[in-house]
Amino acid sequence: MFRFPLFIAITLIVAFGGGIMISLYALDATQGFGAIKLGAWEAFPALQTVEADPYAKSHRARAGKLLYGSAEGLTFTASVDDEGGRLNANCRYRISGQTPPARLWTLFTADNGGNPAAVKTGHPSALNSWTVLRQPDSSFSIEISAVAQPGNWLALPEAGTFRLVLTLFDTPTAGSSGVIDLAMPKLTKTGCGNA
Amino acid sequence: MLRIFFAILTGLFGAALLHLVIILSLPHFTGRDAATRVEAEGDLNNFYLLADRYDEAGLANGDPFVRTAVCSFDIEDGPVHFTAKGNVPFWSIAIYDSASNEVFSMNDRTSVGGALDVLAGGPIQLTDLRKNLPQELQQAILVEMARPDGYAVLRTLAPQASFNEAARNFLTEAGCEQFTAR
Repeated sequence: MFRFPLFIAITLIVAFGGGIMISLYALDATQGFGAIKLGAWEAFPALQTVEADPYAKSHRARAGKLLYGSAEGLTFTASVDDEGGRLNANCRYRISGQTPPARLWTLFTADNGGNPAAVKTGHPSALNSWTVLRQPDSSFSIEISAVAQPGNWLALPEAGTFRLVLTLFDTPTAGSSGVIDLAMPKLTKTGCGNA
Repeated sequence: MLRIFFAILTGLFGAALLHLVIILSLPHFTGRDAATRVEAEGDLNNFYLLADRYDEAGLANGDPFVRTAVCSFDIEDGPVHFTAKGNVPFWSIAIYDSASNEVFSMNDRTSVGGALDVLAGGPIQLTDLRKNLPQELQQAILVEMARPDGYAVLRTLAPQASFNEAARNFLTEAGCEQFTAR
């Protein structure tokens, strides 16, 4: 005689537990649809607009970040390298190439929440288009490692996974949906550990 | 056995329904969205400078080279005039409504003479103003707000440490004031 309440209990647990869990998972896993992916880099040009999809709107309402307007800039985030491996502070990486046209850009190492990562005091964790050293053809190559490197160097947090955030300011890219041909810099792993 | 299967199946339908309800209604009651945080910075109609670390309202610059100021405003009693000028390499402003949707954004390249001069108002307020545009608004960009409350984010860049002071001056002298025709 207790079987009927048991079935109702199962139904309710699955409904509420599952519903809440899947919602939290969906909101943490993605910032919504409408991403433009260029190699390892990912951006959401419509995240701050009224056209953003319901997932994007929920995500941004929960994160509460100040987003860039379409005339301000566009933020690209990389959490994996070009081969798809998660960025890890034990490894060394190289960013090389060119950014899409923009008046200025900034690049910084970030924690998994997208905030500037805590590196040792005095170590550089950010670069921008004014301070980066360039090749004669105006392309650049940036070494990302825990140990200091000659040329352009970005320091890494002590351990764990991290992200790279590249923001283009005043860029025609922000108004595009990925239709025009955009070339983002390559992000390659050059080694891990002491090897 | 079949009954357990049906119970779980019903549960899954319920879960899907609940998921939709959560996703669609979450933006209205998180209490953590950008508009609420900007409002928590302080009084209306005043630009507040953000720091590199999260303040009590939960806002930060978010980028080591970006300097940000935020202003929460309400145009119920009159339009709001945003002004700023200074010698900075880049500035940009974005105006959002209370649901954190972008209403308007611009940067210094699209400004008149490099100075920020934007007026946000309701449709009726702006129509009244346009009939007899005051002298000080001749060059202003008029932005129509569908909803009365919102917030503005003013950003500038300090690509090198020597730009910090200019950026700070630019943001502290920026105005976010209710406009009253003289």
